[in-house]
Amino acid sequence: MVEGHVTISNLEKVYESGGERTKAIDDLSLEVPSGEFLSVVGPSGCGKSTLLYLIAGFLDESAGTIAVDDVPIDGPGTDRGVVFQDYALFPWRTVMGNVTYGLEQKGVDKKERQDTAQKFINMMDLDGFEDKYPKELSGGMKQRVALARTLAYDPKILLMDEPFGALDQPLREALQDHLLDIWRDLEKTVIFITHDVEEAVYLSERVMIMTRHPGTKKTAVEIDVDRTQPREDIIMSDEYTAMKNDVWQSLREETKPQAQL
Amino acid sequence: MSYADFRLDGLEESVPEPVQRIAWFVFEWIPLAILVGVWELMSGTVVPSVVLPSPFEVGAAVWELLVTGDVLPHLQISLYRVGVGLALSIVVGVLLGVGMARSQPVENVFEVFLALIYPIPKAALVPLAILWLGVGTETAILIVFLACLLPIVLNSYNAAQDVDQNLIWSAQMMGMPSWKIPLKVVIPATFPSILTGIRQAIPIAFIALVSAELIASNEGVGFEILRYGEVGAYTLMFAVLVIISAAAFFAVRGYEWAERRLIRWT
Repeated sequence: MVEGHVTISNLEKVYESGGERTKAIDDLSLEVPSGEFLSVVGPSGCGKSTLLYLIAGFLDESAGTIAVDDVPIDGPGTDRGVVFQDYALFPWRTVMGNVTYGLEQKGVDKKERQDTAQKFINMMDLDGFEDKYPKELSGGMKQRVALARTLAYDPKILLMDEPFGALDQPLREALQDHLLDIWRDLEKTVIFITHDVEEAVYLSERVMIMTRHPGTKKTAVEIDVDRTQPREDIIMSDEYTAMKNDVWQSLREETKPQAQL
Repeated sequence: MSYADFRLDGLEESVPEPVQRIAWFVFEWIPLAILVGVWELMSGTVVPSVVLPSPFEVGAAVWELLVTGDVLPHLQISLYRVGVGLALSIVVGVLLGVGMARSQPVENVFEVFLALIYPIPKAALVPLAILWLGVGTETAILIVFLACLLPIVLNSYNAAQDVDQNLIWSAQMMGMPSWKIPLKVVIPATFPSILTGIRQAIPIAFIALVSAELIASNEGVGFEILRYGEVGAYTLMFAVLVIISAAAFFAVRGYEWAERRLIRWT
């Protein structure tokens, strides 16, 4: 597998409104190899969501470049799929209608797109809910629909913006383990934004810590654990605790000055 | 991997109990019953029954008008005018509202017109409409159209401005070209507010209809109200008023019922 490789060089994002310029991202360079699971943590307001939306092509960079497989991106594209914190499902479409959406845009014929969608609906344990509308679903189910919708049109890169942030702890853990299974099976590159250190360390191969406003890459910590073990064994191990501490310390240095204000 | 523990139980079990329905029905109609009671007491005592006929006489007159069919052609033409005026205002209003919300030039052009039309009582435009379109159906339709336009434009305009950006981005990332976004994402996302606008416009349509027909028509319920009033047939005048009120009431109720039945996702 050689696809889904993200290269970010000297990225800068400046917001302008009413003559005021706010620098959200400053000189950020980052390499995400194909198939990597990278989490991004940072103090609130550090621009981590902005970074994700820049990679998605929803926002335009002010300087620098973002390239996928060495081709600079030009707006949103089906090689990248975003999973939003608030799900962003189309309320007027059923679960099936949402999951087939991307395939419909690609011009896949009806039978095939329903079969493909069904596969991902089953994968997300949503069978039996194909004809429900988003408002009839719980938050956890909506997020699974959103994940199925993004996986169904097969982007190489998953961009996830605090996708489990609104869910309670047991549900979040179940979805995290599910996401790890999917990541292993489908071999996607994942860039995962979160403010939860535990979540970042548990899920990722590498955690990037961002500086406080304006955001740039502060450091990255490799998380080298054997992920075939059950969750309890992973989180109880000494190496894991040490790595988590590294991330936490590094993040704390960034949040501390703010907390004193 | 199973999410069985997290499934919502009892999603389908929210059917209201018949008892609740009956109680609700009674509470809803008590004020009207009281009003009719007071009306009956006043008629012929405090107020002479010539100018305030008793509700039972009015009821009998309603029955008579319906059975003889005297009012039906008028009701039919009036409902036609309401229907056409409202339908036109929905088509134009939604396009204008969504267009203004999503395009600065469209907003610049139409905002000033809407701001000018907004404060004018639509009945004040009837003489002008007569001048342009003459006495009759076209004038009534124009007045209904103008009166209904604003609630529909405003509701769709506000909602189209507030469409969740993530929905638009979701469609774009899945490969939808930008030119399709207004039709395929903005209008569906705005749909619940468009329906609210239509719901608000229905009673306004009847108000505008009667005001137009009182002045600029030789048929229709507004004309009938005026005609019976002029010849002193006050009981029949009241009866026509009751009929048009009931028509407006059932139009709103029917619309709400259809909305609930037909659109499951809102």
